[in-house]
Amino acid sequence: MEQKTHDFDVIVIGGGVVGCAVFRRFTLMGARTLLLEKGEDILSGASKANSAILHTGFDAPPGSLELACMQAGYAEYKAIHQKMNLPLLETGAIVVAWNDEQLAALPEIVSQAHQNGVSDVRQVSAEEIYQREPHLAAGVMGGVIVPGEGIIDPWSSPLAYLTQGVKHGGEYRFNCAVTGAQFNDGQWTLSTSADSYQAALVINCAGNHGDEIDALWRIPEFEIRPRKGQFLVFDKPASTQINAIILPVPTARSKGVLLSKTIFGNLLLGPTAEEQTCRDRADVNEEMLKSLIAQGQRMLPSLADYSVTATYAGLRPATEQKEYRIFPYPEEQWITVGGIRSTGLTAALGIASHLETLYLQRFAALFTLAPVKNPHWPKMPMLSDYEPRDYTCPGNGGVVCHCEWVTRRELEAAFDSDVPPGCIGGLRRRTRVMMGRCNGFFCSNHVAEIVGDRFNNTLITGQIK
Amino acid sequence: MSKLYDVIIIGAGPAGLGVARALQHAGVKDVLLIERESQPGGVPKHCRHPTFGMLTFLRPMKGHTWAEKLLTYVQYPIRTATTVTSLLPDGQIEVSSDAGLETLRARKIVLATGVRETPRHPRLVSGVRPQGVLTAGALQQFVYLRGLKPGDHPVIIGTELVSFSAIWTLKSAGVRAVAMIEEGPRPTAWRLCLLFARLLNVPVHCNSRISRINGSERVESIEILSKGEHKTLPCDSVIFTGKFTGEYTLIRKSHLASDFGTGRPLFDQNGACSDPGYYAVGNMTHPADMGDQCYQEGLRIGGRIAAALPSGSIAPEFISVQHDDIIRISAPSIVRLMDTDNKTTFNIRVQRPVTGYVVVRDGSKELYRRRYRCMPERRILLKDVDMSNVTAQSALHISIES
Repeated sequence: MEQKTHDFDVIVIGGGVVGCAVFRRFTLMGARTLLLEKGEDILSGASKANSAILHTGFDAPPGSLELACMQAGYAEYKAIHQKMNLPLLETGAIVVAWNDEQLAALPEIVSQAHQNGVSDVRQVSAEEIYQREPHLAAGVMGGVIVPGEGIIDPWSSPLAYLTQGVKHGGEYRFNCAVTGAQFNDGQWTLSTSADSYQAALVINCAGNHGDEIDALWRIPEFEIRPRKGQFLVFDKPASTQINAIILPVPTARSKGVLLSKTIFGNLLLGPTAEEQTCRDRADVNEEMLKSLIAQGQRMLPSLADYSVTATYAGLRPATEQKEYRIFPYPEEQWITVGGIRSTGLTAALGIASHLETLYLQRFAALFTLAPVKNPHWPKMPMLSDYEPRDYTCPGNGGVVCHCEWVTRRELEAAFDSDVPPGCIGGLRRRTRVMMGRCNGFFCSNHVAEIVGDRFNNTLITGQIK
Repeated sequence: MSKLYDVIIIGAGPAGLGVARALQHAGVKDVLLIERESQPGGVPKHCRHPTFGMLTFLRPMKGHTWAEKLLTYVQYPIRTATTVTSLLPDGQIEVSSDAGLETLRARKIVLATGVRETPRHPRLVSGVRPQGVLTAGALQQFVYLRGLKPGDHPVIIGTELVSFSAIWTLKSAGVRAVAMIEEGPRPTAWRLCLLFARLLNVPVHCNSRISRINGSERVESIEILSKGEHKTLPCDSVIFTGKFTGEYTLIRKSHLASDFGTGRPLFDQNGACSDPGYYAVGNMTHPADMGDQCYQEGLRIGGRIAAALPSGSIAPEFISVQHDDIIRISAPSIVRLMDTDNKTTFNIRVQRPVTGYVVVRDGSKELYRRRYRCMPERRILLKDVDMSNVTAQSALHISIES
């Protein structure tokens, strides 16, 4: 098949939350920007599965780039989320100490938070924690309250970033894996599984494949070591059992297992932290899930009274270092954004701004700057259980998914949107359909009918003759 | 203020239709049925196997034919494509439909929302999440409502009655199941069903459990642990069957009291919940009986509701029914103290096979004793247990003794 070549100012490789935010930033700078995603839709890799927390950065390493990006991202999300109809549930978090050793570690957590500029963090007594969280198990020794931590929609946010970029002339391609990179006469040519594309600047946001993409033209300066996190989602009534995000006192190796509400009204338990070599396969494991449930019940005994809605696993693109691995290569007109772990959802907008600064300060002018003066703010469908949703409004076409109360109008709107879903998973993430406790028992046949032959891989294998 | 109905029935399946027919028979005027699907009839409407009708019409009927026949008896309006989104005190409910959100009111509200199977995720099955993982209930809707095949080489997990119905459904779609997987030493359903599987050339693996789902876009195989040995079964879909559970989320989010661990609402021998303006009936109270049994139960509870309508209030006091751990559920879960006609039939389920005397006691006083061979997922009826001497100080307990 003959490959066509297309010209752009900037190509962003990877449609995770970081890629989407970077795409948005560069289109808003006026660059003709293209996003390439190898999956069937955005959020097909690391960004598919995380804990959906908007972090203050209270526990990030002081002075780190990670902290700077998180705090800039946090501030920008708060500034723009209402314009794009994106939810934020300001629950706060409590780091809970369950033994003397953990209790002794609390002052250091508070002092680090203050050093990081999160000045409202304070240590509290067990009594105050039980007042706030009456369902926690006996044995709380004390804790640290982090009022600024919150919960967001981990899928609508990056979709909103991408959509805003598309509204300003940016383009994207799904099913488009980058297979080669050639730099000639100040111009990159990326060959892909489909066409080839040219641009003056390439930004590698390839997540779990970031080092492989760099290896297309240089020896990578980092190595991705995927870290798997398994999670359990409990049925919605369980979310009444906590108010804040319940965090453990972290160890050197891991932030540990947390309990949190989700923006969709459920209760989340996880993650595990398991190193693996495979970059794509994130499977759940029965023993680990059972061990997570046991850990959850030790913190929250009433969890035993609630059923599990979903289990999932995510792969975080960890590297040999904790710090983000952002490498500008001004000579080669390339920027690598690697090692963005679980804080990426919070930091994405901040990383994008950081790249803008890096580009303006360190790179020769590669395209004409034409900053958008009056940005278009796309309004995302509201999926939060804590806000009014479409099923409450007339003309919704009726409820199709009875666990998540997804309407026919919402499903049809997803297909009519600026970035329609490329696969069943994309439709689920855009609407919540099939995400509920019945795992699609009732709605999957309706979904199959609505989807028709729009996707390569569907819920069905054929018609009955 | 919207119209005040005498009774609103949530769910137009077997139990709900039974309640409706009994209310009609008793001359109750203003009754509304609410159904979330676009057609009334409940799960039987998705079924084409002939295991319906023996109790009600004394002949075997296919599910959809049976449901159609029951529907002809009901003259009350049925609002379809309407989903209940909250249950409120004082007989108010919120519903969502194409018209948006509305509040409806009734003197009595009946929860007849039925059951579904336990799907993949709450079973904590290892592996990835490809397409092709579903339940027998989903399979029926794909095949019978849409004429679509959700797989060509499925494995069936479980050996309950519904598991064998899945073989039947697949057969009508021109698909043969690759295998059936059962954890226990024998099928959960009647042994006769094994013959049915054998006739259709579907191997049944007992003492086996699914240990992993493999695939990328679609299921490619499952791994099973069979008598201590790991095996891989190539397949393109996995159908999880049975382990029925009710939809209790609405109830858990409401003011109604529920049962720790099972999520069921508390309900008494007449179906009345902790708020006596609400009734629970049918399979959601005892997952899961046959459609016919739920219809008969609906008729009985409908009669009690009709009798309770004129008098208005029901005593809020009740005592709860305790049971041994081997007993998974008891229906009813509470008993209200009545002056007359206080014989209560208990419908219980066990966790694992056991043979022995099922004994109902009030403190040390024995109210009922009978020997049963109890199997999981099968109903065990303790008929007409005399409750006339039960008082507010009673301690009701059901045990199984050898």
